[in-house]
Amino acid sequence: MTARPDPLIHPITRLSICGLLAAGADWVEFAALRDAAGISDSVLSKQSRVLEDAGYVEVRKGAVGRRPRTWFRLTAAGRQAVQSHLAWLAQLEEAFSASTPDARQARPLPGDRDQPRRVPPPLLGST
Amino acid sequence: MRDAARDPAALELLRVQRSRLADRMRWPWWYQSGLAIFWALAFACPFLPHGPHGIRIWPILLAALAVACLMQWGLARATGIKMTAPTLLYPASGRPVRIAMSVGALAALGTEFFLIRHGLTAAAIVVAALAVVAEMAGQQAQLRAIRQDLRGGGGTA
Repeated sequence: MTARPDPLIHPITRLSICGLLAAGADWVEFAALRDAAGISDSVLSKQSRVLEDAGYVEVRKGAVGRRPRTWFRLTAAGRQAVQSHLAWLAQLEEAFSASTPDARQARPLPGDRDQPRRVPPPLLGST
Repeated sequence: MRDAARDPAALELLRVQRSRLADRMRWPWWYQSGLAIFWALAFACPFLPHGPHGIRIWPILLAALAVACLMQWGLARATGIKMTAPTLLYPASGRPVRIAMSVGALAALGTEFFLIRHGLTAAAIVVAALAVVAEMAGQQAQLRAIRQDLRGGGGTA
């Protein structure tokens, strides 16, 4: 799998939605997704529509009695995009933590000063 | 809107959110009771043809399966999470338990048939009761594996 940033799921709200849908569940209900992501109904509606239009998320609407129920799941394309985006983020995190002095556990090893500084991979669009 | 790349804790936040989602995956009391009844019915099958009316096994097994499907539907509604049906392959972390459960169930049913054929009905009842307890413990382990899978991201980062 290639670690590649995806501009569509890069904003953190959409990343949360996609990341939660990619967590292993088949379908996730609106309220469960909203509560887990800690976002409002309107934000979830708006962002899920963007993801649906992009073909990343499949939406199934139904009703139980008079209560509407909306279920979400990732499409195959969405799952692939999330996986490569998360792999890219993990690489980014690793590179940042490696370049942060705290992550090196305080004392530098002899000769560390001579080592070239690790540069994190480029952010979106700067290929 | 916040940008994930400018927030070094984006992945950490996602882990917290997945943890929250996993915490929703709890079994309601009726689901646990239903599971216990399902396993009790399954392990009662060897006794049925030997009863006073010689009850057939298949209608009862089919009814138990229908109840199990209904319970899965109810669980999805209660938790807001529809999981892939557990198989020997899913969830990966619970695979040994699942295999042990399948082997254990077959072994218990075989033992029950054997004991009943040899007139040891009381011993067969004990085996059935122990098997129900073991399967319920296995189901709990499966639930833990599913929660762990949700927390871990189901194979994604």
